[in-house]
Amino acid sequence: MTLFISQLINGLHVGSIYALIALGYTMVYGIIRLINFAHGDILMIGAYTVVIAIGSLGFSPVVAIISSIAVCVLFGVLIEKVAYKPLRNSPKISSLITAIGVSMLLQNLALLIFTPTPKPYPISLNVEPIALGSVHISFTTMLTFGVSLLVMMALQAFVLTSKAGKSMRAVSEDMDAAVLMGINVNNTITLTFAIGCALAGIGSVLYCIAYPSVSPTLGSLPGVKAFIAAVLGGIGLIPGAVLGGFLLGIAESLTKGYISSKMSDAVVYGILIVILLFKPAGLLGKSIREKV
Amino acid sequence: MVKNKTHAYALNTFSLLAIFIIIFSLISNGSINNYYSSILISILISIIMAVSLNLTTGMLGQLCLGHAGFMSVGAYTAGIITKALPDMPFGLSLAIALVAGGLLAAVCGFLIGMPALRLKGDYLAIITLGFGEIIRVIIQNLSITGGAAGLTGISRMSRKLAATPKESSAVQFAVVFWIMVVVVTSIFTLGRSRHGRAILSIRENEVAAEATGIPTTYYKLLAFTLAAFFAGIAGGLHAHQIGMLTPKYFDFNKSIEYLVIVVLGGMGSITGSIISATVLVTLPELLREFAAWRMVIYSLTLVLMMIFRPTGLMGTSEFSLNLAIDNATAYYRKHFKRKDAKPKLPFQPHYDVWEDQPVLNTVDLGICFGGLVAAKDINISLKDNEIVGLIGPNGAGKTTIFNLLTGVYTPTKGDIILLNNSIINKPTHEITNNGIARTFQNIRLFKSMTVLENIKVAFHTRMRYSPIEGMVRNSQFSGEERGIDIRARELLRVFDMEDYADDNAASLPYGLQRKLEICRALATNPKVLLLDEPAAGMNATETIELMETIKKIRTRFSVAILLIEHDMKLVMGICERIYVLNYGNIIAEGTPAEIAVNKDVITAYLGMADNTGEVKGEEACLK
Repeated sequence: MTLFISQLINGLHVGSIYALIALGYTMVYGIIRLINFAHGDILMIGAYTVVIAIGSLGFSPVVAIISSIAVCVLFGVLIEKVAYKPLRNSPKISSLITAIGVSMLLQNLALLIFTPTPKPYPISLNVEPIALGSVHISFTTMLTFGVSLLVMMALQAFVLTSKAGKSMRAVSEDMDAAVLMGINVNNTITLTFAIGCALAGIGSVLYCIAYPSVSPTLGSLPGVKAFIAAVLGGIGLIPGAVLGGFLLGIAESLTKGYISSKMSDAVVYGILIVILLFKPAGLLGKSIREKV
Repeated sequence: MVKNKTHAYALNTFSLLAIFIIIFSLISNGSINNYYSSILISILISIIMAVSLNLTTGMLGQLCLGHAGFMSVGAYTAGIITKALPDMPFGLSLAIALVAGGLLAAVCGFLIGMPALRLKGDYLAIITLGFGEIIRVIIQNLSITGGAAGLTGISRMSRKLAATPKESSAVQFAVVFWIMVVVVTSIFTLGRSRHGRAILSIRENEVAAEATGIPTTYYKLLAFTLAAFFAGIAGGLHAHQIGMLTPKYFDFNKSIEYLVIVVLGGMGSITGSIISATVLVTLPELLREFAAWRMVIYSLTLVLMMIFRPTGLMGTSEFSLNLAIDNATAYYRKHFKRKDAKPKLPFQPHYDVWEDQPVLNTVDLGICFGGLVAAKDINISLKDNEIVGLIGPNGAGKTTIFNLLTGVYTPTKGDIILLNNSIINKPTHEITNNGIARTFQNIRLFKSMTVLENIKVAFHTRMRYSPIEGMVRNSQFSGEERGIDIRARELLRVFDMEDYADDNAASLPYGLQRKLEICRALATNPKVLLLDEPAAGMNATETIELMETIKKIRTRFSVAILLIEHDMKLVMGICERIYVLNYGNIIAEGTPAEIAVNKDVITAYLGMADNTGEVKGEEACLK
């Protein structure tokens, strides 16, 4: 029982990070129907920014975190403007290949600049874990869970109530109609990328505190898993990303706890395949068929 | 002109042989050392990988991100088999291993193809990525594959194929070269057979492919399975070139490398894949000091290519290889066969039409989408050779009825009887083959195929030759292909479109595109033809011409025609009977004269009945 509860808590910990990152995937997919493969690599950029900011520039951790989020946003917007915008009206396969290309480019540039040797993440939290009976909950876990939940609620409120949120929803429903209603589609898409990447920046900090080793391929694993989480919940849907993130995190840590830590990735991909086969639109999504 | 072409073909065929002989002798006398010959082998293996990936990604149009996964299955299977058979002569065990590796990879391809039946685009790409990774994780965790450390001690072709190392390298080159030639040729010839046309038509427009009688699920599976089979063979060759395998080699990056080759060469172009495989494998070797930059350049190429030249270097066009292969088969036929294959005309299915029995009728047909009743208690019947109109305001459910009749939607209630047989719950392509053909409201042609090919796709199910026969081009293949060429051109001649036969369907003017769609529907040899707004977007003269065409179709092809149309002049002019639909219900049925004065119909079109007696708008049209 103790094992089960502590694995469940671990699951909520990773799950909330996955959910944060999944939100970025889902928002971008919702608005331009593109799987932004480079989203995971934004995490890596955020992590290296913190390493440089603290290690080379001597910033304080708080300033380093803020600047890393800013750099993430900057990169996200830049990628959108340079690589995705020219392809907005191209066939899907072209933009998908581009997204993969951008992801590979970022990883390999990082490999050239920072070398493959992992660097230690300079921020750590040394707070005693809290004991609830026989179960210990670390401060990191609580912080991660709390921050993620807060950010997600703020995002949901933003999308549902603010004017910009309304334009985002309008653009994701029908881009052409939104233009005719006087919505600046380009700005809305840029804003979506900015928010998604800011969330990835926060996710990057939380992820690296949990796994404090920074390498050029740091982003690909959480990126892929967050993407799977987004698909699991129903890509394009904000509550779906949150639900998918938590479910995936829990499934993963239970596999690690009860089956084998080596097989956890295979289980994650297995979940993806089963979901796509039986409910391609995800748990919360509705499937729409092509109009004939 | 023809003579020049013939010479070019011959030149191509012989240059292939010449290249082989030159390289073979250079390797066997030692002028090409081991290092260069191994680069050559890598190029050949990459060509097999790229051309097979082109089958799914280029021709079928489904992005596959796990091609290296199939390669790894083939590589490990082949490696394990030759290691397990040390006493057998190496050549024999290698052959067994390659085939077994290919087959096991094909099984994986089949399994991955299964989701392709339900998914497309992004989701399918992700699922192939997932499968690729799962294969890698499994290989990493099995003991028979050597786990993460890898499988070592596999016999190398360059050592064991002949007595001396030099000879062995030369034989290795010969083996890989001719396997490459066979793979490329068979994918190429397959692409230009009825099976290839079916695969391309799915890429162009899946809904239309299905409605033209193509069993799309079968062809998706076929493409995935074949591509995986060839990738598996390439994997087996790779295993015996290098002598050791690690799971890490076959990761996502490897799949991307092959994707880059295909994209760079042009998705759909086999020669493009060959050229870019050669360049992309050679370049990094020549620029050794820039090795670290290799993946950066690859990924940058991918992005820039998509932005500035999304069709790749070659687009979908082929270099003169096609000519070479066409010529080789023609030459073979001319010199080694007693006589040319006679054209086998496609059989004309015979429909049993009972006198005074309707060819098509529906019984209380209905469908609900959630709570919305889109069609309710529809009872329609069509007699042989009858032209019947289906009219109604926008959103009345006219196209829904077409979709029900052709199996695009499954009705929630009722029955559809075609020539005394129920066709309910049958897939669209089967219904097409049973005798219902249709056109679409928004034209759905196979746009990047020629006019003639569009028609030929529709003859698909009336040919019999198998994929293998298509690859080897036997007499069955050539006979049937000549037969449908004759029939397809005949059909185009009926519609005065013969001159456009070799034009791209997308390049036709709007009116001709509509005509081509009707033509394609007739090529499936239907008993019932469903036309969805054939006159939409046509001017008055074109509409009159269309009326003549429809009448001509009825007499010449002996079909019953059900017609959705908003142009009342056309409907009233050619229909013998008319059904009027509103809110999913049939509100009136009768001759044009009866319909024109029907109170309910006028109400449906104009809202409330007009009491002032003033005739206006569409009512005027009705009269």
